Amino acid sequence: MDTSIGSEYDSLREEVRSFFAANEDTAVPAGPGFGGDASEVRRRVVEWQKRLVDAGYAGREIPQRYGGAGHEPDPLASLVIEEEFQSAGISLGMENQGISMFVPTLLHFGREDQKQELIRPTIRGEMIWCQGYSEPGSGSDLASLRTSAVLDGDEYVINGQKIWTSGAREAEMMFALIRTEADAGKHAGISYIVLPMDTPGIDVRPLMTMTGDASFNEVFFTDVRVPATNVIGRPGQGWEVGTYTLRFERNMLGRSNATESYVAGCVDILRETGLIDSPVYRDRLLKLEGRVQAMKYHQLRLLTDRLKKRDSGAGGLIVKLNNCQLNYDICALAIDAMAERGVLRRGSKHVRDYGNWQRNYMYALGLIIGGGTAQIQKNIIGERGLGLPREPKPAAA
Amino acid sequence: MDFGLTQPQELLRDSIARFLAQDVGIERVRRVMESESGRDEAIHGQLGDQGITGLLIDMDLGGSELGMQEAAIAAQELGRAAAPVNFHSAYVLAPLLLAGADAGDRRNALLEGIAEGSSLITPILDAPIDDGRIDGGVLYVPDAAWSDAFLLESGGNLHLLDGSVSGIDIEPLETVDDTRRVAEVTFSGIDLGEAESLGGSADSTRRAVHAARIALAADALGAAQKGLHISVEYAKERKQFERIIGSFQAVKHICAEVLAEVDPVQSLLWHTADAWDGGSDEIDHLAPLLKAHATEVASTAVTMTTQVFGGMGFTHECDMHIFYKRAGYDRQMMGNPTALREQAASVMYA
Repeated sequence: MDTSIGSEYDSLREEVRSFFAANEDTAVPAGPGFGGDASEVRRRVVEWQKRLVDAGYAGREIPQRYGGAGHEPDPLASLVIEEEFQSAGISLGMENQGISMFVPTLLHFGREDQKQELIRPTIRGEMIWCQGYSEPGSGSDLASLRTSAVLDGDEYVINGQKIWTSGAREAEMMFALIRTEADAGKHAGISYIVLPMDTPGIDVRPLMTMTGDASFNEVFFTDVRVPATNVIGRPGQGWEVGTYTLRFERNMLGRSNATESYVAGCVDILRETGLIDSPVYRDRLLKLEGRVQAMKYHQLRLLTDRLKKRDSGAGGLIVKLNNCQLNYDICALAIDAMAERGVLRRGSKHVRDYGNWQRNYMYALGLIIGGGTAQIQKNIIGERGLGLPREPKPAAA
Repeated sequence: MDFGLTQPQELLRDSIARFLAQDVGIERVRRVMESESGRDEAIHGQLGDQGITGLLIDMDLGGSELGMQEAAIAAQELGRAAAPVNFHSAYVLAPLLLAGADAGDRRNALLEGIAEGSSLITPILDAPIDDGRIDGGVLYVPDAAWSDAFLLESGGNLHLLDGSVSGIDIEPLETVDDTRRVAEVTFSGIDLGEAESLGGSADSTRRAVHAARIALAADALGAAQKGLHISVEYAKERKQFERIIGSFQAVKHICAEVLAEVDPVQSLLWHTADAWDGGSDEIDHLAPLLKAHATEVASTAVTMTTQVFGGMGFTHECDMHIFYKRAGYDRQMMGNPTALREQAASVMYA
C-alpha cells in the first residue's frame, strides 16, 4: 500500500496555494455556505471559471488549441488539485453537461472544425449546454426515442419533443439524440446532433421541479432547420456517441467532491445545536461516516485502477448509486438536526445556509433518479458487474 | 499512489485461499460445527505450517514479521471459508499482547509456540485480578475449553496462567456460530503468584485491541463476500416461471445493492490496516468505525442474500446460514456496532 503522492507534486501544491492567495477576492466557496441572488451567483461562478481555465485547473487536459491548458492526463495531479481545493473549501469550477459530458464526447467523436468552434467557449462557462435525450415516451428505454430529423438538401428538419431538459432556458446550445434514419433499427437510426437554442421553431416551456426551481423544461421542435454538418460522428452513430456521453454523466453525478464539505457542514449544525452530544444523533452521524469513509477510500482504489490502466469492473459501477444516496442522507440528517427550522426554504427569514440544505436534499433525490435511475443502476451492476442475465424481452402480444 | 494490496500481499492472499479451499472445505467446517466440542485440533498445526499463525510474530521467533494488512488478508480468507478458528483472539490479540510484554525467554517461547501452531493462548482482557488474587467469572472467552494458557490482562499488565492450574472452571456456552466456540471461565481465588507476570503496557494493549477488531471486521467482510458469491451463483442457475431467477429485477437488485454496500468496505479495511501498520493516530477512531461499519454491512448483506435462496436459504442444508452466523459472531464480539460508533464518535468529536 502506497498512498503517498510523491514529492514531485509538492510544487503543484504550492502553486495551487499561491493561486488561492492571489485570487482571494473572486474565489467561489464550495459546499453549503454559498448562495444568494441567482444572477450574482452566476456572474461570480463564470468569472471564477475563467480564472480556473486560465490557471489550468479547469479544462486542464484539454489541448491548448481548443482553449485548455494542454496538460497530459495525470490522475495524481488532478488528485492533488482536488485535495487542495477541498481543504481550502474552494469550488473547482463548473460541473455541467457541456463541460463534463459534451466536451469529452466531442474530443472523441468530433470533427476538427467542431472542436475548434465549441470547446473553448464551453469550458470557459460562456457557452452553456443542455442535453436533449429523454422524451415523454422514452425514459429509461432511451433508444425508443421518436423526435425525428429529415434531410432536406443540406439541412435537417427536426420535429418532436424532449423532456426533463435541465437548464434549457439558460443554455445557448443543445446536444441531442434524434432519429435520422427512419428505416434503420431502433438503435441504428439515431444521430447525435448539436443545435443552437435560438434556432427558429424551438419552444422551451419550463417545468417546475420539487425544489421550487424551474430547472427542468420541455423542449418542442417544429420544423427546426439545422445544417446537416451539425452531426457529431456519423449519421446513425448517435447511440454509440450518446452512450459514450452517458458514461461521463455517471461519473459526474457520482462525484463525491462536495460530500466531505457537506459532512463538515452537518457536524457544524450538530455542534451548534448541541445535538453532537445526543447519542441518537451521534449514532446516525457515525453510520454516515462509515459510508463516507468507505467511499472515500473506494475512490482511491478506483484511482489506482486508472493509474494502472486496469478495469475497475463492478467497483466503478456502484459509485453513482452510492454517492447520490449518501449525499441525500447527509442532507436529511442536517435538516433533522435543524428541527422546525428545517422547513424553511431559500429566501425565508431565519433560513440557514441560504436554504442549500433543503434544496440539495431535494436535488439529491433528483440525482438519484436522473442520469439513469437508481433502479437502472442496479440493473447495470447486476448484469455487467455480477453477470446476472438480462430480463427477457416480453413475448409479442 | 498504489492503493490496495502489493503483489506479495496478493500472492499471500491467493496462497491462503488455495490452502483453505483444499484443506478446510465446507464439509470439514460442517463436521466441526456438528461436533459436541466444536474443536478442530488439527487446524492450528496446519495454519502454523502455512505461516498463518505467525504473521504478526518476529522472524527470529519463527514468524514472518509482517503486519496488520497481512493479518487482515488472512482473517478475510478465513471468514470466507468459515474456518473453525478464533483467529482474532489466538493469532492477533495474543501475539500482539505478548509482543508488548517484557522481553525474555518465557515470552519468546510463547511466541515461538504460537508461530508454530503448537500452543493456543487465550487472552482475557480486563481480567478479574484484585489484591493479588485471580478471582471471578469471565464470559464469552474464545477457545477456553482447549486453551493451553490464559493471558490475563489487567490495566495493561499481563499475567500468564497455565490452563492446568487448579481453580479454573470452564463451562462451554451454546452459541449461534458453531464454527467458533466460547465459554464461561471462573477463577476461584487463585493466587496471582501462580501466574507468571510478563509486564506489558496500556498502549500496546490498546493497539492489540484495535488489531483484533480489524481482524473481526475482515472476517465479516469475507463471510459477506462469500454469501454474495454463492447467492449470485444460485441466481444464475435456479429457474422459476421458466426463467433464471437472476433475471428478475427483484432478485438482481438484492445482489446489486449488497455488492454496492460490501465492495467499498474492502477499501476501508485496507486503509484501516494500513493506518495500524503506519502507527497513525487515526487508528483510534478508524478501528472502531471500521468494525462497526463492516459488521453492520455484513449483517445486512447476509440477511439479504439468504433471501435469494428462497426457502432453501432457511435450511440447514444450504450453506448460507453458516455465513449468516459467522457475520453475527463477528458483529457481537469485542464491541457491537452501536457501542463502537459511540467509541469512534468520542474520539472524532471530542
